[in-house]
Amino acid sequence: MGIISYFRENKRSIKKVTYTQDELIVLIREKNQKAFSYLYDNYSKALFGVIYHITNDQEEAEDVLQNVFVKIWNHFSSYDEQKGRLYTWMLNIARNMAIDSTRSKHEKVKNKIQEASDTVYHRNRMYTENSSHETIGFKTLIAGLKEDQQQIIDMAYFQGFTQEEIAGRLGMPLGTVKTKVRQAILMLRELTKKEILQ
Amino acid sequence: MNVEQIISSGLLEGYVLGMTTEEESALVRDLCVKHPELLEEIQQIESALIGLGSQQTPAPNDNLKDRIASQIQFSNAEPEARVVPLNRVEPVAGKSFGYRLAVAASVALLIASSVYIYTLHRQVSDLENRLADASASNTMLSVEMAAEKESMHKLAANFSIVSDPGMKAIPLNGMNSLATRSAMVHWNPETNDLYFNATALPPSPGDKQYQLWAIVDGKPVDAGVIALENGVVFQKMKPITGAKAFAVTIEAYGGSPSPSLDTMCLLGNV
Repeated sequence: MGIISYFRENKRSIKKVTYTQDELIVLIREKNQKAFSYLYDNYSKALFGVIYHITNDQEEAEDVLQNVFVKIWNHFSSYDEQKGRLYTWMLNIARNMAIDSTRSKHEKVKNKIQEASDTVYHRNRMYTENSSHETIGFKTLIAGLKEDQQQIIDMAYFQGFTQEEIAGRLGMPLGTVKTKVRQAILMLRELTKKEILQ
Repeated sequence: MNVEQIISSGLLEGYVLGMTTEEESALVRDLCVKHPELLEEIQQIESALIGLGSQQTPAPNDNLKDRIASQIQFSNAEPEARVVPLNRVEPVAGKSFGYRLAVAASVALLIASSVYIYTLHRQVSDLENRLADASASNTMLSVEMAAEKESMHKLAANFSIVSDPGMKAIPLNGMNSLATRSAMVHWNPETNDLYFNATALPPSPGDKQYQLWAIVDGKPVDAGVIALENGVVFQKMKPITGAKAFAVTIEAYGGSPSPSLDTMCLLGNV
Protein backbone atom coordinates (compact mmCIF):
# COMPACT_ATOMS: atom_id res chain seq x y z
CA MET A 1 0.00 0.00 0.00
CA GLY A 2 2.74 2.38 1.02
CA ILE A 3 4.77 1.56 -2.04
CA ILE A 4 1.81 2.04 -4.34
CA SER A 5 0.97 5.46 -2.96
CA TYR A 6 4.63 6.41 -3.14
CA PHE A 7 4.66 5.60 -6.83
CA ARG A 8 1.43 7.46 -7.37
CA GLU A 9 2.83 10.54 -5.67
CA ASN A 10 5.98 10.21 -7.66
CA LYS A 11 4.09 9.98 -10.93
CA ARG A 12 2.07 13.01 -10.04
CA SER A 13 5.08 15.12 -9.14
CA ILE A 14 6.73 14.31 -12.45
CA LYS A 15 3.77 15.79 -14.32
CA LYS A 16 4.27 19.52 -14.50
CA VAL A 17 0.94 21.29 -14.86
CA THR A 18 -2.56 19.94 -15.16
CA TYR A 19 -5.26 22.06 -16.65
CA THR A 20 -8.92 21.22 -16.43
CA GLN A 21 -10.68 21.14 -19.77
CA ASP A 22 -12.27 24.53 -19.07
CA GLU A 23 -8.93 26.15 -18.20
CA LEU A 24 -7.35 24.69 -21.29
CA ILE A 25 -10.17 25.96 -23.50
CA VAL A 26 -9.71 29.49 -22.16
CA LEU A 27 -5.98 29.34 -22.84
CA ILE A 28 -6.49 28.01 -26.36
CA ARG A 29 -8.99 30.79 -27.07
CA GLU A 30 -6.32 33.25 -25.96
CA LYS A 31 -3.91 31.52 -28.37
CA ASN A 32 -1.58 31.07 -25.47
CA GLN A 33 1.58 29.19 -26.32
CA LYS A 34 1.35 27.22 -23.06
CA ALA A 35 -1.97 25.87 -24.25
CA PHE A 36 -0.42 24.56 -27.45
CA SER A 37 2.41 22.99 -25.54
CA TYR A 38 0.04 21.33 -23.12
CA LEU A 39 -2.26 20.22 -25.90
CA TYR A 40 0.60 18.68 -27.80
CA ASP A 41 2.21 17.01 -24.80
CA ASN A 42 -1.04 15.47 -23.61
CA TYR A 43 -2.92 14.61 -26.77
CA SER A 44 -0.52 14.35 -29.70
CA LYS A 45 0.42 10.74 -29.04
CA ALA A 46 -3.18 9.60 -28.76
CA LEU A 47 -4.23 11.54 -31.86
CA PHE A 48 -1.17 10.29 -33.70
CA GLY A 49 -2.11 6.74 -32.73
CA VAL A 50 -5.56 7.16 -34.22
CA ILE A 51 -4.21 8.83 -37.37
CA TYR A 52 -1.49 6.22 -37.83
CA HIS A 53 -4.06 3.53 -37.44
CA ILE A 54 -5.85 4.93 -40.49
CA THR A 55 -2.92 6.04 -42.68
CA ASN A 56 -0.60 3.18 -41.70
CA ASP A 57 2.33 5.39 -42.72
CA GLN A 58 4.57 7.28 -40.31
CA GLU A 59 5.34 10.23 -42.54
CA GLU A 60 1.78 10.68 -43.72
CA ALA A 61 0.52 10.40 -40.15
CA GLU A 62 2.92 13.14 -39.06
CA ASP A 63 1.74 15.42 -41.85
CA VAL A 64 -1.85 14.79 -40.90
CA LEU A 65 -1.13 15.40 -37.22
CA GLN A 66 0.47 18.71 -38.14
CA ASN A 67 -2.57 19.72 -40.17
CA VAL A 68 -4.83 18.59 -37.34
CA PHE A 69 -3.06 20.82 -34.83
CA VAL A 70 -3.04 23.78 -37.22
CA LYS A 71 -6.75 23.27 -37.77
CA ILE A 72 -7.47 22.94 -34.05
CA TRP A 73 -5.51 26.11 -33.42
CA ASN A 74 -6.87 28.23 -36.25
CA HIS A 75 -10.46 27.00 -36.17
CA PHE A 76 -10.92 26.72 -32.47
CA SER A 77 -13.93 29.03 -32.67
CA SER A 78 -15.84 26.17 -34.27
CA TYR A 79 -15.43 24.07 -31.13
CA ASP A 80 -18.55 24.23 -28.96
CA GLU A 81 -17.90 22.87 -25.49
CA GLN A 82 -21.66 22.54 -25.05
CA LYS A 83 -21.69 19.85 -27.70
CA GLY A 84 -18.94 17.57 -26.47
CA ARG A 85 -15.52 17.03 -24.95
CA LEU A 86 -12.50 18.82 -26.32
CA TYR A 87 -10.78 15.47 -26.88
CA THR A 88 -13.81 14.15 -28.76
CA TRP A 89 -13.72 17.18 -31.05
CA MET A 90 -10.00 16.78 -31.71
CA LEU A 91 -10.46 13.05 -32.23
CA ASN A 92 -13.10 13.71 -34.87
CA ILE A 93 -10.86 16.17 -36.70
CA ALA A 94 -7.95 13.73 -36.57
CA ARG A 95 -10.01 10.83 -37.89
CA ASN A 96 -11.60 12.86 -40.65
CA MET A 97 -8.33 14.38 -41.82
CA ALA A 98 -6.62 11.00 -41.75
CA ILE A 99 -9.43 9.48 -43.80
CA ASP A 100 -9.29 12.41 -46.24
CA SER A 101 -5.54 12.02 -46.55
CA THR A 102 -5.62 8.31 -47.35
CA ARG A 103 -8.54 8.87 -49.67
CA SER A 104 -6.72 11.48 -51.73
CA LYS A 105 -3.62 9.32 -51.76
CA HIS A 106 -5.59 6.35 -53.00
CA GLU A 107 -7.38 8.46 -55.52
CA LYS A 108 -4.13 9.66 -56.97
CA VAL A 109 -3.02 6.10 -57.49
CA LYS A 110 -6.22 4.56 -58.65
CA ASN A 111 -8.16 5.65 -61.70
CA LYS A 112 -11.42 7.52 -62.06
CA ILE A 113 -13.68 4.58 -61.29
CA GLN A 114 -12.43 4.67 -57.75
CA GLU A 115 -13.77 8.22 -57.32
CA ALA A 116 -17.25 6.82 -57.08
CA SER A 117 -16.32 5.13 -53.83
CA ASP A 118 -18.22 6.74 -51.02
CA THR A 119 -17.16 7.12 -47.44
CA VAL A 120 -18.81 3.92 -46.31
CA TYR A 121 -17.01 1.92 -48.92
CA HIS A 122 -13.77 3.62 -48.10
CA ARG A 123 -14.08 3.12 -44.39
CA ASN A 124 -15.07 -0.45 -44.97
CA ARG A 125 -11.99 -1.07 -47.00
CA MET A 126 -9.72 0.54 -44.48
CA TYR A 127 -11.24 -1.45 -41.74
CA THR A 128 -10.49 -4.75 -43.40
CA GLU A 129 -7.05 -3.54 -44.52
CA ASN A 130 -6.04 -2.49 -41.08
CA SER A 131 -7.46 -5.32 -39.07
CA SER A 132 -4.50 -7.54 -39.78
CA HIS A 133 -2.18 -4.75 -38.81
CA GLU A 134 -3.82 -4.06 -35.46
CA THR A 135 -2.99 -7.39 -33.97
CA ILE A 136 0.67 -6.63 -34.48
CA GLY A 137 0.24 -2.99 -33.51
CA PHE A 138 -1.24 -3.00 -30.05
CA LYS A 139 0.44 -5.56 -27.98
CA THR A 140 -0.26 -4.25 -24.55
CA LEU A 141 -3.55 -2.54 -23.70
CA ILE A 142 -5.68 -3.80 -26.54
CA ALA A 143 -4.31 -7.31 -26.10
CA GLY A 144 -5.95 -7.36 -22.71
CA LEU A 145 -9.37 -7.12 -24.35
CA LYS A 146 -11.40 -10.02 -25.66
CA GLU A 147 -11.50 -10.34 -29.41
CA ASP A 148 -15.03 -8.95 -29.81
CA GLN A 149 -14.11 -6.06 -27.50
CA GLN A 150 -11.05 -5.30 -29.61
CA GLN A 151 -13.21 -5.26 -32.69
CA ILE A 152 -15.82 -2.93 -31.24
CA ILE A 153 -13.22 -0.51 -29.81
CA ASP A 154 -11.48 -0.49 -33.16
CA MET A 155 -14.69 0.47 -34.93
CA ALA A 156 -15.90 2.97 -32.34
CA TYR A 157 -12.61 4.65 -31.52
CA PHE A 158 -10.13 4.23 -34.33
CA GLN A 159 -12.55 4.11 -37.26
CA GLY A 160 -15.15 6.47 -35.86
CA PHE A 161 -18.20 4.44 -36.79
CA THR A 162 -21.51 5.49 -35.32
CA GLN A 163 -23.39 3.19 -33.00
CA GLU A 164 -25.90 2.48 -35.75
CA GLU A 165 -23.16 1.60 -38.21
CA ILE A 166 -21.59 -0.80 -35.74
CA ALA A 167 -24.94 -2.36 -34.94
CA GLY A 168 -25.62 -2.86 -38.64
CA ARG A 169 -22.16 -4.17 -39.41
CA LEU A 170 -21.98 -6.61 -36.54
CA GLY A 171 -25.67 -7.50 -36.77
CA MET A 172 -26.45 -6.75 -33.13
CA PRO A 173 -29.03 -4.52 -31.43
CA LEU A 174 -28.06 -0.94 -30.59
CA GLY A 175 -28.35 -1.65 -26.88
CA THR A 176 -25.84 -4.49 -27.16
CA VAL A 177 -23.40 -2.18 -28.96
CA LYS A 178 -23.63 0.33 -26.12
CA THR A 179 -23.11 -2.35 -23.50
CA LYS A 180 -20.16 -3.86 -25.35
CA VAL A 181 -18.49 -0.48 -25.83
CA ARG A 182 -18.91 0.20 -22.15
CA GLN A 183 -17.53 -3.20 -21.10
CA ALA A 184 -14.55 -2.79 -23.40
CA ILE A 185 -13.72 0.65 -21.99
CA LEU A 186 -14.20 -0.60 -18.43
CA MET A 187 -11.68 -3.32 -19.20
CA LEU A 188 -9.31 -0.72 -20.66
CA ARG A 189 -9.63 1.34 -17.49
CA GLU A 190 -8.75 -1.68 -15.40
CA LEU A 191 -5.74 -2.39 -17.59
CA THR A 192 -4.62 1.24 -17.47
CA LYS A 193 -4.84 1.25 -13.69
CA LYS A 194 -2.72 -1.88 -13.49
CA GLU A 195 -0.20 -0.41 -15.84
CA ILE A 196 0.16 2.75 -13.75
CA LEU A 197 0.70 0.70 -10.61
CA GLN A 198 3.31 -1.53 -12.21
CA MET B 1 -32.20 8.16 -13.83
CA ASN B 2 -29.81 7.98 -10.93
CA VAL B 3 -26.04 8.24 -11.24
CA GLU B 4 -25.45 4.47 -11.33
CA GLN B 5 -28.02 4.00 -14.07
CA ILE B 6 -26.49 6.78 -16.15
CA ILE B 7 -23.00 5.35 -15.72
CA SER B 8 -24.02 1.80 -16.57
CA SER B 9 -26.07 2.85 -19.61
CA GLY B 10 -22.99 3.31 -21.81
CA LEU B 11 -24.14 6.86 -22.60
CA LEU B 12 -20.96 8.44 -21.23
CA GLU B 13 -18.68 6.14 -23.26
CA GLY B 14 -20.61 7.02 -26.39
CA TYR B 15 -20.33 10.71 -25.49
CA VAL B 16 -16.55 10.63 -25.23
CA LEU B 17 -16.25 8.58 -28.41
CA GLY B 18 -18.40 11.14 -30.24
CA MET B 19 -21.04 8.53 -31.01
CA THR B 20 -23.95 10.26 -29.31
CA THR B 21 -26.62 12.29 -31.08
CA GLU B 22 -26.92 16.00 -30.35
CA GLU B 23 -29.85 15.31 -28.04
CA GLU B 24 -27.90 12.68 -26.13
CA SER B 25 -24.91 15.01 -25.82
CA ALA B 26 -27.17 17.74 -24.49
CA LEU B 27 -28.57 15.24 -22.01
CA VAL B 28 -25.06 14.32 -20.83
CA ARG B 29 -24.26 18.00 -20.40
CA ASP B 30 -27.37 18.58 -18.30
CA LEU B 31 -26.72 15.46 -16.24
CA CYS B 32 -23.15 16.60 -15.53
CA VAL B 33 -24.49 19.85 -14.14
CA LYS B 34 -26.87 17.91 -11.89
CA HIS B 35 -24.37 15.23 -10.94
CA PRO B 36 -20.79 16.56 -11.01
CA GLU B 37 -19.50 13.05 -10.17
CA LEU B 38 -20.32 12.08 -13.76
CA LEU B 39 -17.56 14.41 -14.93
CA GLU B 40 -15.03 12.32 -13.04
CA GLU B 41 -16.37 9.21 -14.80
CA ILE B 42 -16.14 10.95 -18.18
CA GLN B 43 -12.55 11.97 -17.48
CA GLN B 44 -11.63 8.39 -16.64
CA ILE B 45 -13.20 7.10 -19.84
CA GLU B 46 -11.31 9.77 -21.75
CA SER B 47 -8.02 8.91 -20.04
CA ALA B 48 -8.44 5.24 -20.90
CA LEU B 49 -9.03 6.10 -24.56
CA ILE B 50 -6.13 8.55 -24.65
CA GLY B 51 -3.96 5.90 -23.06
CA LEU B 52 -5.01 3.37 -25.66
CA GLY B 53 -4.39 5.75 -28.55
CA SER B 54 -1.01 6.78 -27.18
CA GLN B 55 0.57 3.43 -26.82
CA GLN B 56 -0.42 1.50 -29.86
CA THR B 57 1.93 2.92 -32.50
CA PRO B 58 5.35 4.49 -32.88
CA ALA B 59 5.40 8.03 -31.52
CA PRO B 60 5.58 11.00 -33.87
CA ASN B 61 9.00 12.42 -34.62
CA ASP B 62 10.45 14.54 -31.81
CA ASN B 63 10.78 17.65 -33.97
CA LEU B 64 7.10 17.59 -34.97
CA LYS B 65 6.07 19.80 -32.06
CA ASP B 66 8.45 22.55 -33.16
CA ARG B 67 7.42 22.09 -36.75
CA ILE B 68 3.77 22.66 -35.84
CA ALA B 69 4.59 25.54 -33.49
CA SER B 70 6.30 27.33 -36.36
CA GLN B 71 3.09 27.05 -38.40
CA ILE B 72 0.73 28.65 -35.92
CA GLN B 73 0.50 31.98 -34.17
CA PHE B 74 0.54 32.67 -30.47
CA SER B 75 -0.67 35.67 -28.55
CA ASN B 76 2.22 35.36 -26.09
CA ALA B 77 5.71 34.50 -27.21
CA GLU B 78 7.46 32.85 -24.30
CA PRO B 79 11.09 33.80 -23.77
CA GLU B 80 12.14 30.17 -23.34
CA ALA B 81 10.30 29.11 -26.44
CA ARG B 82 12.41 27.82 -29.27
CA VAL B 83 13.85 30.48 -31.55
CA VAL B 84 12.23 30.67 -34.93
CA PRO B 85 14.90 31.37 -37.56
CA LEU B 86 12.87 34.17 -39.14
CA ASN B 87 12.85 36.13 -35.90
CA ARG B 88 16.60 35.88 -35.47
CA VAL B 89 17.29 38.60 -38.03
CA GLU B 90 14.96 41.07 -36.34
CA PRO B 91 16.70 43.54 -34.05
CA VAL B 92 15.98 43.03 -30.36
CA ALA B 93 15.00 46.66 -29.87
CA GLY B 94 12.47 46.48 -32.67
CA LYS B 95 11.00 43.38 -31.11
CA SER B 96 10.50 44.97 -27.71
CA PHE B 97 9.13 48.14 -29.31
CA GLY B 98 6.73 46.02 -31.29
CA TYR B 99 5.80 44.21 -28.11
CA ARG B 100 5.18 47.46 -26.25
CA LEU B 101 3.21 48.75 -29.16
CA ALA B 102 1.14 45.57 -29.14
CA VAL B 103 0.49 45.92 -25.41
CA ALA B 104 -0.43 49.60 -25.80
CA ALA B 105 -2.70 48.72 -28.69
CA SER B 106 -4.31 45.93 -26.67
CA VAL B 107 -4.92 48.24 -23.72
CA ALA B 108 -6.33 50.92 -25.99
CA LEU B 109 -8.52 48.33 -27.67
CA LEU B 110 -9.67 47.04 -24.30
CA ILE B 111 -10.63 50.53 -23.11
CA ALA B 112 -12.28 51.33 -26.40
CA SER B 113 -14.29 48.11 -26.33
CA SER B 114 -15.30 48.69 -22.70
CA VAL B 115 -16.57 52.16 -23.56
CA TYR B 116 -18.29 50.79 -26.62
CA ILE B 117 -19.92 47.98 -24.66
CA TYR B 118 -21.02 50.44 -21.98
CA THR B 119 -22.53 52.72 -24.62
CA LEU B 120 -24.23 49.79 -26.25
CA HIS B 121 -25.57 48.70 -22.89
CA ARG B 122 -26.96 52.20 -22.28
CA GLN B 123 -28.54 52.24 -25.69
CA VAL B 124 -30.07 48.83 -25.22
CA SER B 125 -31.63 49.70 -21.85
CA ASP B 126 -32.87 53.02 -23.29
CA LEU B 127 -34.43 51.15 -26.18
CA GLU B 128 -35.94 48.63 -23.79
CA ASN B 129 -37.57 51.45 -21.79
CA ARG B 130 -38.92 53.06 -24.92
CA LEU B 131 -40.23 49.75 -26.13
CA ALA B 132 -41.99 49.19 -22.81
CA ASP B 133 -43.55 52.68 -23.00
CA ALA B 134 -44.62 52.13 -26.56
CA SER B 135 -46.23 48.80 -25.84
CA ALA B 136 -47.99 50.22 -22.76
CA SER B 137 -49.48 53.10 -24.74
CA ASN B 138 -50.29 50.65 -27.48
CA THR B 139 -52.32 48.59 -25.02
CA MET B 140 -54.07 51.69 -23.73
CA LEU B 141 -54.87 52.80 -27.25
CA SER B 142 -56.38 49.46 -28.14
CA VAL B 143 -58.50 49.53 -24.97
CA GLU B 144 -59.71 53.03 -25.83
CA MET B 145 -60.29 51.94 -29.38
CA ALA B 146 -62.45 49.02 -28.24
CA ALA B 147 -64.49 51.38 -26.03
CA GLU B 148 -64.92 53.81 -28.92
CA LYS B 149 -66.03 51.00 -31.17
CA GLU B 150 -68.59 49.84 -28.66
CA SER B 151 -70.09 53.30 -28.21
CA MET B 152 -70.11 53.69 -31.98
CA HIS B 153 -72.09 50.50 -32.26
CA LYS B 154 -74.52 51.71 -29.61
CA LEU B 155 -74.95 55.05 -31.33
CA ALA B 156 -75.54 53.33 -34.64
CA ALA B 157 -78.09 51.02 -33.03
CA ASN B 158 -79.83 53.96 -31.33
CA PHE B 159 -79.79 55.91 -34.56
CA SER B 160 -81.47 53.08 -36.45
CA ILE B 161 -84.15 52.91 -33.74
CA VAL B 162 -84.78 56.64 -33.95
CA SER B 163 -84.73 56.57 -37.76
CA ASP B 164 -87.61 54.10 -37.92
CA PRO B 165 -90.46 55.88 -39.85
CA GLY B 166 -93.04 54.60 -37.35
CA MET B 167 -91.15 56.13 -34.44
CA LYS B 168 -92.48 59.38 -33.01
CA ALA B 169 -90.11 61.83 -31.36
CA ILE B 170 -91.76 63.61 -28.44
CA PRO B 171 -89.89 66.46 -26.77
CA LEU B 172 -90.36 66.72 -23.00
CA ASN B 173 -90.04 70.26 -21.68
CA GLY B 174 -88.56 71.05 -18.31
CA MET B 175 -90.59 72.48 -15.44
CA ASN B 176 -90.06 73.20 -11.74
CA SER B 177 -86.56 72.07 -10.76
CA LEU B 178 -85.58 71.28 -14.37
CA ALA B 179 -87.17 74.34 -16.00
CA THR B 180 -84.22 74.96 -18.29
CA ARG B 181 -83.76 71.28 -19.27
CA SER B 182 -85.38 68.97 -21.76
CA ALA B 183 -85.42 65.34 -22.84
CA MET B 184 -86.84 63.22 -25.64
CA VAL B 185 -89.13 60.23 -25.79
CA HIS B 186 -89.19 58.03 -28.88
CA TRP B 187 -92.36 56.00 -29.14
CA ASN B 188 -93.79 53.78 -31.85
CA PRO B 189 -97.62 53.76 -31.38
CA GLU B 190 -97.93 50.65 -33.56
CA THR B 191 -95.32 48.43 -31.95
CA ASN B 192 -95.58 50.21 -28.55
CA ASP B 193 -91.76 50.40 -28.36
CA LEU B 194 -90.66 53.21 -26.09
CA TYR B 195 -87.21 54.78 -25.62
CA PHE B 196 -86.03 57.58 -23.36
CA ASN B 197 -83.28 59.92 -24.49
CA ALA B 198 -81.66 61.62 -21.50
CA THR B 199 -78.76 63.25 -23.34
CA ALA B 200 -79.53 66.68 -21.87
CA LEU B 201 -80.65 65.57 -18.41
CA PRO B 202 -78.54 66.20 -15.26
CA PRO B 203 -77.87 63.23 -12.96
CA SER B 204 -80.72 62.52 -10.56
CA PRO B 205 -80.13 63.93 -7.05
CA GLY B 206 -78.60 61.52 -4.48
CA ASP B 207 -80.78 58.57 -3.62
CA LYS B 208 -83.52 59.51 -6.12
CA GLN B 209 -84.22 58.34 -9.65
CA TYR B 210 -86.12 59.72 -12.61
CA GLN B 211 -89.28 57.77 -13.48
CA LEU B 212 -91.15 57.99 -16.78
CA TRP B 213 -94.90 57.96 -16.90
CA ALA B 214 -97.25 57.66 -19.86
CA ILE B 215 -100.60 59.42 -19.63
CA VAL B 216 -103.11 56.90 -20.95
CA ASP B 217 -106.82 57.75 -20.76
CA GLY B 218 -105.98 60.61 -18.38
CA LYS B 219 -104.17 58.31 -15.93
CA PRO B 220 -100.40 57.93 -15.39
CA VAL B 221 -99.01 54.53 -16.33
CA ASP B 222 -95.52 53.49 -15.14
CA ALA B 223 -93.11 53.34 -18.09
CA GLY B 224 -90.05 52.44 -16.00
CA VAL B 225 -87.25 53.96 -13.97
CA ILE B 226 -84.50 55.79 -15.82
CA ALA B 227 -81.13 54.27 -14.92
CA LEU B 228 -78.79 57.18 -15.59
CA GLU B 229 -76.12 55.90 -13.21
CA ASN B 230 -74.27 53.86 -15.78
CA GLY B 231 -73.95 56.83 -18.09
CA VAL B 232 -76.67 55.36 -20.23
CA VAL B 233 -78.46 58.17 -22.05
CA PHE B 234 -80.63 56.17 -24.43
CA GLN B 235 -82.73 53.58 -22.68
CA LYS B 236 -85.47 51.19 -23.71
CA MET B 237 -88.55 51.65 -21.50
CA LYS B 238 -91.64 49.55 -20.88
CA PRO B 239 -93.95 49.21 -23.91
CA ILE B 240 -96.83 51.68 -23.80
CA THR B 241 -100.15 51.63 -25.67
CA GLY B 242 -102.31 54.63 -26.44
CA ALA B 243 -100.30 57.34 -24.68
CA LYS B 244 -101.47 60.95 -25.00
CA ALA B 245 -98.55 62.46 -23.09
CA PHE B 246 -95.35 61.54 -21.23
CA ALA B 247 -94.09 62.92 -17.95
CA VAL B 248 -91.02 62.43 -15.72
CA THR B 249 -91.08 62.68 -11.94
CA ILE B 250 -88.29 62.34 -9.39
CA GLU B 251 -89.02 59.33 -7.18
CA ALA B 252 -87.29 57.39 -4.45
CA TYR B 253 -84.64 54.95 -5.68
CA GLY B 254 -86.31 52.05 -7.53
CA GLY B 255 -89.35 54.06 -8.50
CA SER B 256 -92.91 54.39 -7.14
CA PRO B 257 -96.17 52.66 -8.12
CA SER B 258 -97.80 56.08 -8.55
CA PRO B 259 -96.23 59.45 -9.42
CA SER B 260 -95.76 62.21 -6.88
CA LEU B 261 -97.05 65.13 -8.90
CA ASP B 262 -95.12 67.79 -6.98
CA THR B 263 -91.80 66.34 -8.25
CA MET B 264 -92.83 66.36 -11.90
CA CYS B 265 -89.94 67.85 -13.87
CA LEU B 266 -90.58 67.02 -17.54
CA LEU B 267 -93.78 66.93 -19.58
CA GLY B 268 -94.59 66.58 -23.26
CA ASN B 269 -97.71 65.86 -25.33
CA VAL B 270 -97.76 63.28 -28.09
